[in-house]
Amino acid sequence: MVAQSVSNNIVLKRLKRLPFASSFWLQMLFILIFSLLLFGPIINLLIWTVTEVWYFPHALPTQWGLKYWHQVFNPYSDVSGSLLTSLLIAVLTVGVCLLVSVPAGYALSKRSMPLRVFWMLLFLIPQAFPNLTVYMNIARLFYGFGLNGTLLGVVLVHSVHGLMFSVWISVAAFSATDPLLERASRNLGAGSFYTFFHIVLPQAAPGIMASCIFVFLESLDEFTGTFFVGAPDITTLPLLLYSASMEGNYQIASITALILLVPSILFMVVIHKFMKPEMLAKLGK
Amino acid sequence: MQQKEAQKLWLIAPAALMVSLFFLYPLCFSLYSAVTLDGALTLSHLDKAFELYSKDMLFTVIIVLVSVMLLAILSISIAALITLSPFRSVVGILGFLYRLPLFIPFIVAAQMMRTFLAKNGLMNNAFVASGLMTPMDTISFLGWSGIIITFVWKQLAFSTLLISGAMAALDDAQIRAARNLGASRLRILFGIILPQIAPSLGVALVLSTVTMMSVLSVPMMIGTGTPTMISADMAFRVDSYGDYHVANALGLVSYLICAGLAWFYLRQSLKDKGAAA
Amino acid sequence: MFTRTRIAVLAAIGLTSVISAAHGETVLNVASAGSQNMVDYVKTYLAPKFEATHPGVTINVIGTGPGDAGSQKIYEKLSAQKDSNQPTWDIDVAVVHQKMGGEMVKDDLLAKYRSQIDTGKLVSRDSAKNALGTNVNGYVMPMFHSQTAIAYNSDFVKHPPTSYNQLVTWTQQHPKEFGYNGIKNGMSGVSFVTGWIYAYGTNAKTLSSEPYNKANEANWKSAFAKLKAFNKNVTFTPGNAGTLDMLNRGEIFMGPVWVDMFYSWKAQGKIPPSMKLSLIAPGMPGQPMYYVIPKKAAHPELARQFIELATSPEVQAQGIVKRFNWYPGIDAKYVKSKLDKATWDKLFAEITPEDLSKYGKSFPIAQYFDDIKEGYERQVSN
Repeated sequence: MVAQSVSNNIVLKRLKRLPFASSFWLQMLFILIFSLLLFGPIINLLIWTVTEVWYFPHALPTQWGLKYWHQVFNPYSDVSGSLLTSLLIAVLTVGVCLLVSVPAGYALSKRSMPLRVFWMLLFLIPQAFPNLTVYMNIARLFYGFGLNGTLLGVVLVHSVHGLMFSVWISVAAFSATDPLLERASRNLGAGSFYTFFHIVLPQAAPGIMASCIFVFLESLDEFTGTFFVGAPDITTLPLLLYSASMEGNYQIASITALILLVPSILFMVVIHKFMKPEMLAKLGK
Repeated sequence: MQQKEAQKLWLIAPAALMVSLFFLYPLCFSLYSAVTLDGALTLSHLDKAFELYSKDMLFTVIIVLVSVMLLAILSISIAALITLSPFRSVVGILGFLYRLPLFIPFIVAAQMMRTFLAKNGLMNNAFVASGLMTPMDTISFLGWSGIIITFVWKQLAFSTLLISGAMAALDDAQIRAARNLGASRLRILFGIILPQIAPSLGVALVLSTVTMMSVLSVPMMIGTGTPTMISADMAFRVDSYGDYHVANALGLVSYLICAGLAWFYLRQSLKDKGAAA
Repeated sequence: MFTRTRIAVLAAIGLTSVISAAHGETVLNVASAGSQNMVDYVKTYLAPKFEATHPGVTINVIGTGPGDAGSQKIYEKLSAQKDSNQPTWDIDVAVVHQKMGGEMVKDDLLAKYRSQIDTGKLVSRDSAKNALGTNVNGYVMPMFHSQTAIAYNSDFVKHPPTSYNQLVTWTQQHPKEFGYNGIKNGMSGVSFVTGWIYAYGTNAKTLSSEPYNKANEANWKSAFAKLKAFNKNVTFTPGNAGTLDMLNRGEIFMGPVWVDMFYSWKAQGKIPPSMKLSLIAPGMPGQPMYYVIPKKAAHPELARQFIELATSPEVQAQGIVKRFNWYPGIDAKYVKSKLDKATWDKLFAEITPEDLSKYGKSFPIAQYFDDIKEGYERQVSN
């Protein structure tokens, strides 16, 4: 992240002159072990995407090929269409979550907030109570509202789940902002809106952006809520390939993950681009 | 002051309304079914949940606590390396690496781990091929250890991203000053950085706990036999018996565990702040 | 700021509704529980066949996931629509497990349609009328019949056990080489446990066809105790697919599997050709998958035509038997005549018709079934 490199730059200059040769190798060793642990499963995933036959006791697949790619992209299932729907839903979900959680996060970061613990626990509920038994009731409610089978319905269901991430992380981000700067700005005569958007928000921006990533990913992976509220009118990629993934078809699950990786990484890149101006503003403080 | 507090409530209102209407309200039906039988209040479902699944509850708590502890240690060390390491290459590689699991859905992570950690999985095969092990020594990590490994592997990116973000937002002046006074990097980490990023660390751990408690695919695919995690028991209760009462009672227990941990954190963070002010 | 998003959201909704309206076609929604090859079968085999004879109709297939959980989701979705008094429901045809078929009939979620389709009289087996003690006569059409059996790797197991007794001895000689998935991770394990009760508790006939009587469960205690001892010598696997996977990876050499899944995996090259099946005495349960029509389906006429096609002898012969090597849903005599002898015999290459009729059992009625599962939870896994 940009923030890291900025601070690193400064710390770096200070620390560079000291002798670190042994700790360098130590750190490299840590990275090597860490990357082995990290990459092992990922390599496993990549191998599975091009595996056709892999019997015991062979250490590697005995037959490689793209058979399962053809199966995923068969003419009967609209992979690109459902991927686009997934993407649209995820972006809208991020938008909705941002809109409601930035003010909530700001308010909750203040210690004087009445019933603060209560509110915080409230936003935890949608994830902390296993949803299995609740979806049926949600579906019933949404049918009553006429929201079933609409994009709005799916976005709402995903947003309620994403709120845990966006609210809790926003609170942490706003808590870390410097109250003195805020007070100074107000004392200098700036309005509360001006102060919020120009002083407070830029400071909390990295945390809020991080929360966007989680909301986005959460929405992209979600299946059950989409089924109850969106199906059969709305088809997302996880919905399309759910049976295969759930059943232990490693090839299709791995390929799905790879396809979902593309929008995730794109989103991260976009967010980074978007973050830069804010970070520059922070530099000038 | 009164007016100011009312203002703050308005700021929360949209989010709170959304959760209440689209989740709390439907949840009420579930909670109702957890404590009633044919309209009469009863604790029999909770009793049954404890009678049949108390072992699994304990198992769940232990798994989650161990995973959270490992997560805390690992993500602090990685974030600290990123923030404090004087070596640019180290920072670069690490910063790229740790984020990878973020993009892999739980369900896929669970499957990957199943073929990776199994007795004749890729990991053991690699050890055997490199001569570190003979095929006779291989053991399967499927089961509780596999569940922990998968949780830590997947959630590490999440907590490290939050923690290193918080570390990056710290004031460099303090670190520089401490450095100039001759403090070792370890001292800086424990004395200056950790106290300041405690809120982010707490949030990362609370949210990870909640995520781990609610994920179904990992215990279903990696866990074998008994004991298992509460979420898997809930699924079993619903899918196999169509018994929503006990399933909801289990959900209630699961929420109370999460809320207990979250409350502990919130109280702690309130105390700290109070002391600072 | 709020209005702006609202406009954006509304625009997006408008966009999708325009897209779907632009097609101007009738969409028949088919929701299928069960494994991916079943979803693929409906999507790539049945749907094109149906669309070819019904211009202007598109079939939209949704897979809801394998196992009971998949059926449960369909049940919950229909039940939600019933409770909120929707005039029409958004699923036209559903494929569900036997047990769920019974539950759905009990909750009045299904249409009684079998007498209205021509293929309705081609089914006579008991499982088309009775689902775990619930009378489902007229509400369901079997898609195919599935059976559990013991799969083993013939490279390593030369003399497979033929009964539960022999299996117990075998596991004592080869500890940890037999694996099953308990009862929480899929039905093949549940099936194995049910077979265990049939063997050491109460016979299958009493449990699956006589009225519920708790007194019949008198000697289950010793059966469960025996199972607990047996469990010490086995490996636990993660799920139906997990058992097959561990067989493939050589981590276990024997385990209970669904015959249809076994054949699909074998055909796809996911398990080696050396894998074989054995249906052991006194028998293991099997179950059909049902085609059902929700009570307020939006297109009941089309739904009936779809099921009629899917259960016609030609489609059952070419699709279910020839393509997948699954046991047909409609009566065998109607299907057999549509196939050459070699294809038909292949169906019984692993399990002979005699074994199938002798050892292929049904699941017990719902109350006994719940007692078996809960007994296991209390006395075996606790």
